[in-house]
Amino acid sequence: MKKKTLLTLLVAPMLIGAATGCEAKADFTIGISQLVRHAALDAATNGFMSAVKEGMKEAGKTVKFLKKNASGDSSNCVVIANTFVSKNVDLIMANATPALQAAANSTLEIPILGTSITDYASALKIDSSEVTKRNISGTSDLAPLDEQAEMILDKNIFPSISKVGLLYCSAETNSLFQVERVEKLLQDGGLATTRLSFSDSNDISSVLNKAKGSVDLIYIPTDNTAASCADTIAGFVRPNKIPVVAGEEGLCAKCGVLTLSINYNTLGQVTGQMALEVLLNNADISNMKIRYDSNPQKKYNETICQELGITPPEGYTKIA
Amino acid sequence: MIEYLSSLPNALALGIIWGLMAIGIYITYKILDIPDLTVDGSFATGGAICAITMVQMNNWGLSLLFSFLIGLACGLVTGLLHTLLGIPAILAGILTQLTLWSINLKILDGANISVNATQYHTLLSLFDIPNALWKLGIIIALIIGFLYLFFGTELGCAIRATGNNPKMSNAQGINTKRNIVIGLSISNGLVALAGALFAQYQGFADIKMGSGAIVIGLCSIVIGSIIFSKIARNFAVRLISVVFGAIIYSIIYQTAVFFDLDTDLLKMLAALIVAIFLGVPYLRRTYGLKFKKWKENRKMRLKDGK
Repeated sequence: MKKKTLLTLLVAPMLIGAATGCEAKADFTIGISQLVRHAALDAATNGFMSAVKEGMKEAGKTVKFLKKNASGDSSNCVVIANTFVSKNVDLIMANATPALQAAANSTLEIPILGTSITDYASALKIDSSEVTKRNISGTSDLAPLDEQAEMILDKNIFPSISKVGLLYCSAETNSLFQVERVEKLLQDGGLATTRLSFSDSNDISSVLNKAKGSVDLIYIPTDNTAASCADTIAGFVRPNKIPVVAGEEGLCAKCGVLTLSINYNTLGQVTGQMALEVLLNNADISNMKIRYDSNPQKKYNETICQELGITPPEGYTKIA
Repeated sequence: MIEYLSSLPNALALGIIWGLMAIGIYITYKILDIPDLTVDGSFATGGAICAITMVQMNNWGLSLLFSFLIGLACGLVTGLLHTLLGIPAILAGILTQLTLWSINLKILDGANISVNATQYHTLLSLFDIPNALWKLGIIIALIIGFLYLFFGTELGCAIRATGNNPKMSNAQGINTKRNIVIGLSISNGLVALAGALFAQYQGFADIKMGSGAIVIGLCSIVIGSIIFSKIARNFAVRLISVVFGAIIYSIIYQTAVFFDLDTDLLKMLAALIVAIFLGVPYLRRTYGLKFKKWKENRKMRLKDGK
């Protein structure tokens, strides 16, 4: 009986797989490994898929996507990467750092494109952030930090601020990297800064309450955890009338005033273009440069700007 | 089908690593009868220590050793919180786990360190799974052998007695508090060692790698004990059964991912596996008996010609 239970457990998914796996074979199969579901990563994956589909259509080829999500658990990334290697896919698209690392450790042959990675040098422990010299390339979501800092320092936008709180999740490598850079830029610009780091979504509200009255403005970098609790942040900053400058549009739409944001959908599309170059034109991935979203967008949140009486500067468009 | 089979060695390797961790959990959960939640933290600590040692010294032996030692220390902290300060075991484990989250961030100096096998001399790597498999096989066999011998010594028996009946053990002059501390230390040492092997195998240590470790461990213990409980009750067999439980869990997981089960459902799958393995034997025990009775009754009725 136990053997039967076990056998059923093993065989049932196989049968389902066999039933669904009998479709016509596509010219290319692409495995997509995404760390966790949230707006920014989903947008990158969607942008990637639409760009690849379109390009393949133009070239008269077909493509099949195997889309897998690790539910935030990095050990699942290993299982997913291994599955792609076993299935011998033509290309792996790894969305977020652990997904890229797991794929990078699973194969030296299958080309791997990363996206939503801030710094390839630290993610892969290599010297260069430009080219990896192996079967990996991709796009970086590094925000235009210099310009973001300039935005905060601009006296025309924020005339009377002296102390800036930097809100980020301590469990995210990328966030710390950005906060360190912005912190230095702001201090050079003559502002005092204080780091408001939280370890997960549970302690974000207590960290914010501690900051009450001691900061005039909050900066939030591109941070996955902060993005997933943007409503909590909004629930604190709006009643307390603290302006927020956000590193990405999704955050700004919920709790921010201004943002200079890269667009994850565009980033995904750039990654998709790279995939097309690798698959259709046999481009050498080991010498492909890491690409960025070349056209960051200046946006503002109309509702919160009105609440705080901030006039958005010229050149900014409102978030739809 | 061949593609599917070629994905199984990875599942086997992951299963053995999780099996080692599950043995650690088995020591606290089954032998000491203490639900120890330190493991979610100490698994990641093991990985973090291993990664940082690899980056600094590039020596897999030392990295495994340090991870094990720090793991022992993690268990020691939980043990002391529990026995010295009288904090309930489950809470003591949670406190250490919380502390370890912060400590791990400091060890990793961030959230993630890469120990790519192309640059470091790791013992295991995803690049060469067959090689990783036999090494893992030897490691797990050595550890089971060692534990079997250890739990046969006077100290080992005293630890087992502590878990079975603390009051009786105390009355027999066994220092139960000391035994709980030792058991927790060994348990977390093994869990950290598993974390270290895992970090080398996957090629990176991540702050979140320990989340859910306890669930995987409990799944493995439950699956293993149900399948092997009828074979033998020998201690070594029980440890082996835990490892097999982990391997089965891992294979089910890999199968689900391979055959395009929606990966958003993975967590539910883990819960389902445990529910099925716990629920089916229970249903058989209760309803199986009723069914048997009903059948017998029917036979009797037929015999009587009614």
